[in-house]
Amino acid sequence: MVLVVDDEVRILSALQRTLRREGYELLTAETVEQAFGILAERDVDVVMSDHKMPGMTGLQFLAQAAMQRPTARRMIITGWTEEIPEEELRRIGVCALITKPWEDWKLKATLRRALG
Amino acid sequence: MESARTGVPKELQRKDDGVLQNLNTALLVVDASARITSSNPPAEQILGESAAALADEPVSRWFAEGGGIELIARTLRDGERFRAVESFVTRRDGTRVPIGISWAPVVDSTGERCGAVATFQDLTGLKQLQSQVVQTEKMASIGQLAAGVAHEINNPMGFIHANLFQMAEYVTDLRRVWTGVDALRKAVGQGHAGEILDASQQLSTLIDEADVDFVLSDLSKAIRESQEGSERIRHIVQDLRDFSHHDTNERVLADVNQCLDSTASIVWPMMKHLVKLEKDYEVLPSVWGFPMQLKQVFMNLLVNAYQAIEEKVSESGGMGTIQLVTRAVEGGVSIHVTDSGNGIAGDVLDRIFDPFFTTKKVGAGTGLGLSTSYSIVKRHGGRFEVSSEEGGGATFGLFLPMGDEDEVVDPD
Repeated sequence: MVLVVDDEVRILSALQRTLRREGYELLTAETVEQAFGILAERDVDVVMSDHKMPGMTGLQFLAQAAMQRPTARRMIITGWTEEIPEEELRRIGVCALITKPWEDWKLKATLRRALG
Repeated sequence: MESARTGVPKELQRKDDGVLQNLNTALLVVDASARITSSNPPAEQILGESAAALADEPVSRWFAEGGGIELIARTLRDGERFRAVESFVTRRDGTRVPIGISWAPVVDSTGERCGAVATFQDLTGLKQLQSQVVQTEKMASIGQLAAGVAHEINNPMGFIHANLFQMAEYVTDLRRVWTGVDALRKAVGQGHAGEILDASQQLSTLIDEADVDFVLSDLSKAIRESQEGSERIRHIVQDLRDFSHHDTNERVLADVNQCLDSTASIVWPMMKHLVKLEKDYEVLPSVWGFPMQLKQVFMNLLVNAYQAIEEKVSESGGMGTIQLVTRAVEGGVSIHVTDSGNGIAGDVLDRIFDPFFTTKKVGAGTGLGLSTSYSIVKRHGGRFEVSSEEGGGATFGLFLPMGDEDEVVDPD
């Protein structure tokens, strides 16, 4: 089960479209509050988050998500071209960084790998 | 040339000792009735006249526009002094030369005011340099925006790109269904009931496999969303192109609300994740000025406000607020940009308009934003004020007079 968090609803819609036939359940959240709600109820395997979001960065969100679901794999998907420091990514245990616009096959492969 | 008239006080007579004639600064001397009694070659060059053609002429002939007359009158009448006032000379052929001019009264041996002396410089080169600096600073602020802009383009690019990929898959799915339709049509043409039945069953399978209902509705949705995304990108690019335009040197009537709002719409995408923007615009009279330069001032104020909030929020979390308030006030318009950022310390406040002064980290600012903004506001004959407390946000207010087409800008 994969949870995607992005304040851009069109991105969520495109991801649903892309991953429709990938054979796992895809949950989406437009806000971090929504995402925390989902994490509380569902046993999510992968959390993939946008970085630039209102009120909280993707890294901050993933750090908190890690406390709620420590076993879930964490990923960032971002259109932000500025580099996110490597050590930050390591510290929060982000296993993949996907840039927008993404390559379909790469995204699918990365998610498959994360889901083991 | 010596003034043809007799009775010109010797204080006003042309000095042929070579000093004034070889001075690099333009010099004009006028008598109490504002007629030229003496000039030197640089003055003659700027005015576009020979010494003979200038002698005894009313100086107002060249200084009638741009408020020059007012300065002369006040110097002769009240003995006022003016230093380095920006104005312009209008030559006989109508061309204008920007100048910086100083006026001082001339007093004769009895202590009576008997005329005035002006020194001035041609500012054409300086003006060009100034407009280059303004443009360079503007491009630098666009550079700082570039990362934000790239992000704003990458988001719609992201979903358009993904949608196109899926739409191509949908077309492949629908084409497969179409082969089934085609087979059924042929079977119907041949009229064998068994084959028709087979083809029809085949088609049903294909339709189910392809999930045609979903594909058709999602295809329209994907097209709609992608169209909206490309429209967004078109807007961003258009806004940027508008912003990077040059002003002409002529003043035009500027709609300050429009200048402010279109600038806010450029920077809004880069700040929307951290900032609530509150707009409170009043209907404003137009002001004479340079709209692109005003946009640049607003851009600087907005980017500063955003960065102040970013700094504060990175410590405390949450969101910040930027308020944009415009008002019609006596003689002009006022604009206030208030942010809830981390404010400006007292010792910094005194220096924020200094060129190259910056508190931003390397690469985040040129140190020219506010000093350029300050000179732009001055050029409009306006005023800049700032109030802030460390930790408590800041308000930048500016007043712009209605002005007129040829307004002289007094730098003091």
